[in-house]
Amino acid sequence: MNRDNWQVGGQELSSRLFLGTGLFPDPYVQMEAIKASGTEVLTFAIRRIHLDSVEDDSILQHVEPQKYIYLPNTSGATTADEAVRIARLARASGLSDWVKVEISANKRTLLPDPIETLRATEILVKEGFTVLPYISDDPVICKKLEEAGAAAVMPGAAPIGTGLGILNPYHLGLIVEELSVPVIVDAGLGTASDVALAMELGVSGILMNTPVAKAKDPVMMARSMRLAIEAGRLAYLSGRIPKKKYASASSGLESLVIE
Amino acid sequence: MSGDIIVMGGGIIGLSCALELRRRGLNVALLEKGPCGGQASGAAAGMLAPYSENVESPDEFFRLCRESLSLYPQWQQAVKDISGVPFEYAETGSLYVVRHEADLLALESRLEWQRSWGSGGEILTGSALFDAEPGLTREAVAALRTPVESHVYAPDLTEAVKRACLASGVQIHEHLGRIELAEWRERVALWAQNGERFEADRLLISTGAWVQEMSEPLGIRIPVHPIRGQICAYTWNEERERLRHLVFTSQGYLVQKANGTLVCGASEDIAGFDTSVTEKGIRRLTEWNKQVLPVLGEVQPFHRWAGLRPAVLDGRPLIGRLDDAGHIFVAAGHYRNGILLSPVTAALIADSVEGKPLPEWCGAFRPNRFGEVQAGAFSGK
Repeated sequence: MNRDNWQVGGQELSSRLFLGTGLFPDPYVQMEAIKASGTEVLTFAIRRIHLDSVEDDSILQHVEPQKYIYLPNTSGATTADEAVRIARLARASGLSDWVKVEISANKRTLLPDPIETLRATEILVKEGFTVLPYISDDPVICKKLEEAGAAAVMPGAAPIGTGLGILNPYHLGLIVEELSVPVIVDAGLGTASDVALAMELGVSGILMNTPVAKAKDPVMMARSMRLAIEAGRLAYLSGRIPKKKYASASSGLESLVIE
Repeated sequence: MSGDIIVMGGGIIGLSCALELRRRGLNVALLEKGPCGGQASGAAAGMLAPYSENVESPDEFFRLCRESLSLYPQWQQAVKDISGVPFEYAETGSLYVVRHEADLLALESRLEWQRSWGSGGEILTGSALFDAEPGLTREAVAALRTPVESHVYAPDLTEAVKRACLASGVQIHEHLGRIELAEWRERVALWAQNGERFEADRLLISTGAWVQEMSEPLGIRIPVHPIRGQICAYTWNEERERLRHLVFTSQGYLVQKANGTLVCGASEDIAGFDTSVTEKGIRRLTEWNKQVLPVLGEVQPFHRWAGLRPAVLDGRPLIGRLDDAGHIFVAAGHYRNGILLSPVTAALIADSVEGKPLPEWCGAFRPNRFGEVQAGAFSGK
């Protein structure tokens, strides 16, 4: 494959998978899955991190920090002000300038609050953060987040952790069409075919956690996701054939003639 | 010698299963290469905390943990009665303490599903929290109190289960060195290092972090690996404010023991079978714990130790009989929850040995679930 790197906030990346570090059964499985996934960006909840001493944190202590970009998230925040406070804490600890804005409006669905997310994105962009908001798959709000200065926009395919796959491929396709910053599908995917489909729709990357961490074999599933991303991306770049109603023989009619 | 069943491995799981099988009338021999309870069981802090250990959702593993907690009051009493050995069993309840306002949403989600599973939980904030646990940092924003969680003094429990086994007529053979599986397809035969041969109709494998050694002879994939846990303890006598609850945070736990110690655990280290205690591992504990219980900043731990937890690739133990060998049973891979899961594991294994079908949801723990050993089929790791 030719080089197909991409950029987020001026940072060149080769892997198109962002991996969440929660929910793994233990640190060994987590580290093996991270390796197998080929990811360059790790994401985690800031509230769970031991910010006073990041190198001693129960999860991050196992990670070689120079090998990965950290994308801390504000999960647990319910307002823009809360998300902004959390993001500032993370930056002050030297963790990262990147932040995934995640503001939930409902504790059962954890669906993002679009108004608060837009507000937090505006504030954090002005403060110089590289902001990647998690948002619903609504093309209008996604465009507004881009206009507010988001480095990438991350629509959910379905609610977090549900594994329902892409509920609205039409919207996702529109979002890809209308935005010029990278679109990263964040949340709701279940398995490799969901990932491949998202990539075929033209998104730039995938963020996931549960489908890998809670698989029977998280290490093998991490590898599967890496391959699905590559397969979907190649299919997107190659251009799929149009769908036709009737068959057309692939080897020409003459090969069907029986002597 | 020969008998009905051989239990391989004398940790808390092997001992508990041996006791239950004996109580159901089988002739049981337990083989242990070192001393009983010499690994994870003796090193454990003994938390009985299914709700604090499963914060995400009520999956099968949570169900197993909860089932075992409900068996504990009777089970521990039975162990005391049979063995005549006392041990601490403290129904203190737990506090899961958070220091960020953003943690409240997660605590509320947890409270909602855990209450429907009998946690009796409540969220404490402000003065209610500090009245409940006076020594806590005033930076604590809230805590989820789960009154039904408890703890046990694991080394004494392990010893008591061993005594109960002996009192009931389980034959325990310790310090055997290497134990080799000589035959298993029809009857079971094992060789100890000293040449002694043990035979039985059935075999239960409960060798914890070492269970993967059975993968090759049995031809099934057993993806279990050791994760080292380092723990430290402080002298905590009458002069100090006693901790009233089990205290959990995202970084570890604190537990007050009746013997005048405060135990703080635990690291999760990737260190193979190395059981050394490291400066870094203990420092990590002493750095975070004083932020939860500030008085810990003034004292040093008097004791530090480490054990190897048996961790499974999907985070779930292996419990049950083998698909193609109905006389071979496995009970291993209990990771952080071996002490908690002993009663339920013993009951499930004994049912299984008696030929009773296990409940359908226990399919999540099938020892065969990772398939057979096939060269080259698993290059993903």
